[in-house]
Amino acid sequence: MPRWLFSIIALAIGLSLGLFYGWEINPVQFVDTTPASMRADYRADYVLMIAEAYHADQNTDLAIRRLAVLGSDSPANIAAQALQTGQSIGYSTHDISLLQELTRALQAYQPAPTPIEGTQKDSAPTGGAP
Amino acid sequence: MKRFPWEAILALTIGIGLGIFYAWTIAPVRYINTMPNTLRSDFKDQYRILIAASYSSSHDLARAKSRLELLGDADPVQALTAQAQRMLASGQPFDVVQQVAMLADDLQSGVAHIPPTAMPESNISAGPPTLTPAASLSATETPQVAPISSSSPTSEIVSTIVPLTITPRPTQTLTPTAGAPFILLSNDIVCKPDLTDGLMQIYVIDSRGHQMPGVEIIITWDGGEEHFFTGFKPDIKNGYADYIMQANVAYTIRIAESGTPVPDLTAPTCTDSSGQTYTGGLHLTFQQP
Repeated sequence: MPRWLFSIIALAIGLSLGLFYGWEINPVQFVDTTPASMRADYRADYVLMIAEAYHADQNTDLAIRRLAVLGSDSPANIAAQALQTGQSIGYSTHDISLLQELTRALQAYQPAPTPIEGTQKDSAPTGGAP
Repeated sequence: MKRFPWEAILALTIGIGLGIFYAWTIAPVRYINTMPNTLRSDFKDQYRILIAASYSSSHDLARAKSRLELLGDADPVQALTAQAQRMLASGQPFDVVQQVAMLADDLQSGVAHIPPTAMPESNISAGPPTLTPAASLSATETPQVAPISSSSPTSEIVSTIVPLTITPRPTQTLTPTAGAPFILLSNDIVCKPDLTDGLMQIYVIDSRGHQMPGVEIIITWDGGEEHFFTGFKPDIKNGYADYIMQANVAYTIRIAESGTPVPDLTAPTCTDSSGQTYTGGLHLTFQQP
């Protein structure tokens, strides 16, 4: 048997042993994950919970803060994706309406303008000066 | 004599090295499609808060239970209770803590708890449903009320009411009735030799008998005052708090939010079976009407 073939076989055996160990004996344990990595249906349920809470308190800021853990996408998009998922996996009409309510609120949401320090002072009228 | 297969060993080592380089650098593991039970502990806490918040809106205990199961806690009630205590200790808003504690309590009792004071805008009344133009109705209700005219005494009021199905739906965050004074429901002397001397056990419950964590209690005596909270001993009850009284000292106790002060509380003197005296305790129960 040629020596190079012997090496190839050894490599293949090593890889097989490595894969068997990695997949069967000691597979990867997912720990310390974030809500953003959850499967689409769990994400949708997460958003649904936010929608249920929003339905009761009508607190858009709180809903946005809660949605922030689901990724860097805009809250309205996250809610819209959840709505889409909910529709595709057969959520009840009530749940869909809650998600729609949240999505609409997020789409219409206008954060309160925060005055930038300095700008206001610079542009302040000087009325009253002689 | 056969030569040792160094080439094969070298090939194996290089292969493993390349594999690890590929796995760690070129295409590292990306966690996708994970389950809620793999979440980091702080995200699990947020998940429980959300479950509790949605439960306080929907009062769907079965759904809350199945959602909690996703987190893989050995004892969901214990996990919720412990979280409520942590939140309380870290000064998180009382209404959020209460939602978590309430869910734990309802899971334990198996009965959904619907606070009677949570529906200020609801159109649900004890009697038959009546429609007024100002009634706020949900999307599932389809009343049709003609405008009521008061311009002429002879004008007819025409109203067509289609069968009304009312969906009980609280519209506010569930919080205890602000200002409703707590009343002392019971004040019992406890004579148990195995109990800590002078132990004052306090239980605070709401109008439905549910334990109330996070309620501030003020105890005063001649020359002193102390504040403490219910809910720090969930292994006893969520609405439990205790205080060790000194013998021959009169205490006044009051629920901080609102409540009539209960004066002249003293540790009783008890006698055991051998005739020896010891300092007994008190068992007080406060209820929010």
